[in-house]
Amino acid sequence: MAFEELVKRGEYVWEVPQDAALRMRVPGRIFLSEVLMKYLERGAIQQVANVATLPGIQKWSLAMPDVHTGYGFPIGGVAAFDVSEGILSPGGVGFDINCGTRLLVTTLFKEEIEPRINELTTALFEAIPSGLGSKGQLRLSEKELDGVFLDGAKWAVNRGYGNPADLKHCESNGCLDGADPTKVSPLAKKRGKPQLGSLGSGNHFLETQCVDRVFDKKAADLFGLKEQQVCIMLHSGSRGAGHQICTDYLKMFQAASRKYSIELPDKQLACVPADSQEARDYFSAMAAAANYAWTNRQVMSYWVRDVLEQQFNTTATLVYDVAHNIAKLEKHTIDGGRKEVYVHRKGATRAFDKDDSYGIEQPVLIPGSMGTASYVLHGTKKAMSTTFGSTCHGAGRILSRKAARRSLTWRGVTEGLQRKHIVIKTDDLSSVPEEAPEAYKPIDEVIDVVSKLGISEAVARLTPMGVIKG
Amino acid sequence: MQKYEFLEHTADVTFKAYGRDLNELFKNAAEALEDTMVLLDEVALGETLNIEMGSDSYENLLYDWLSELLITFEVERFALKKCFVRIVGLSLTADCLGEILDLNRHRLNTEVKAVTYHNLAVTKNDIYHAEVTLDV
Repeated sequence: MAFEELVKRGEYVWEVPQDAALRMRVPGRIFLSEVLMKYLERGAIQQVANVATLPGIQKWSLAMPDVHTGYGFPIGGVAAFDVSEGILSPGGVGFDINCGTRLLVTTLFKEEIEPRINELTTALFEAIPSGLGSKGQLRLSEKELDGVFLDGAKWAVNRGYGNPADLKHCESNGCLDGADPTKVSPLAKKRGKPQLGSLGSGNHFLETQCVDRVFDKKAADLFGLKEQQVCIMLHSGSRGAGHQICTDYLKMFQAASRKYSIELPDKQLACVPADSQEARDYFSAMAAAANYAWTNRQVMSYWVRDVLEQQFNTTATLVYDVAHNIAKLEKHTIDGGRKEVYVHRKGATRAFDKDDSYGIEQPVLIPGSMGTASYVLHGTKKAMSTTFGSTCHGAGRILSRKAARRSLTWRGVTEGLQRKHIVIKTDDLSSVPEEAPEAYKPIDEVIDVVSKLGISEAVARLTPMGVIKG
Repeated sequence: MQKYEFLEHTADVTFKAYGRDLNELFKNAAEALEDTMVLLDEVALGETLNIEMGSDSYENLLYDWLSELLITFEVERFALKKCFVRIVGLSLTADCLGEILDLNRHRLNTEVKAVTYHNLAVTKNDIYHAEVTLDV
């Protein structure tokens, strides 16, 4: 797939025409500025085109400005499929089902934390299990794990890991309907059971941040964010439970795709008709993993609050919690009519114009790369009409992990953070270069593009003070 | 002959494994996976593990084989250093040698979430080749 195939359809809108590849059912749309265009990979364009070949896809195969090559779907990919004519694809969600971001706001201000940031980061690092194969502190029975799969964050709140107000501030109230633990394999349960309440590794993190700029005072006030206020951001997902659920269903769907005669340009796109029994089973298992992820972030929030109470005699309020790897049953206006669709967001965030949590547009949380800013935004009407209510999910990688390790050292990267007065704690120093800012696109540019496109609007910018890298 | 090599992939880990026959190809792919997860120099050969499985194509057999090793690594904490693989038709039997991980002695590398089907291929010209992408 060549760059010459792209047709400019407006400022920041690049179209992959429907005739660019065989069997495309709709055109592709990639949202990029001139600056971000130079990071676009051929592989990502190809993946946008591949997704466009899947049955029942509506309007466009979309890619957000943080797009990069993934496996199957591109990262930053959004696609909606008709509930009766379309498909459901585990590869369109990814292995880390409901990987997402959560933001808590404390009552503290930057100057109060600054002298004690080392101490706070160390305490958080000790309280929240992180790193490769990290295990949580909870010992769950089979029955309790089923409760996690069924009830999501509510399971944790009912056991005292948080308060009922937290649920109001989670996407889907921290629980996706339709979860069924009997659709989760024993192996997925075995992998997930010891890990609840752990961060994991890779790009997962926990950061102490402070509000460095407020762009929309009305929304920021409602979200409880003031300039200089200290927040805690968490980025984690469904751990081994989600990874295994995706692995199990992908394998099952290799044969099922053939059974339903669905032609696939990439095996990772294996899918089944959305109204089939296989699809219902996958959705029930995926919802269970999504609920595990919300519980996971809820339990970790409890440890965060525990540290804040011990160290500063204060607590933190949940601002919001969003998923960025998920498939959801939603109603959208398509060609003038209301239609039920399965929206697949693979490295993309829901950005609705309405939400119950604050009575205004839905809060959106976009983490930057390690050592750079993160953003709070809100959804818009424009997102509803152009991106099935979706926006970007982060900065988006540009360097492979291998290239990052080759060109950067952990010492250089940590010294760079120190110069910005950012403290870092990790179990795995050797992987620090993989998450260096140089390995990612500039987050400010990505946010500028989604704002100018109008698919979300900036509320506040947060800068890091202490990083726990998983 | 090189056993395996890592290729560039923006977000994940892609490797190419080689083998003069399928047995060697699957053995080298297993070592590439373990190399991604742990520093193999520090892994001894104290424990053994036997794996048997079958599938409907070489690609799917490779996916199942590597997925099984990933699960064994995460759940049983078994790090594979060497293995002997025998493939007859579409059935695999393997004797794996390695060690149960001890985080005081072993250094872990990258957490692998899953083996993907993305561009997964087993091909043959002079020798056998396999390309595998891991989600990390």
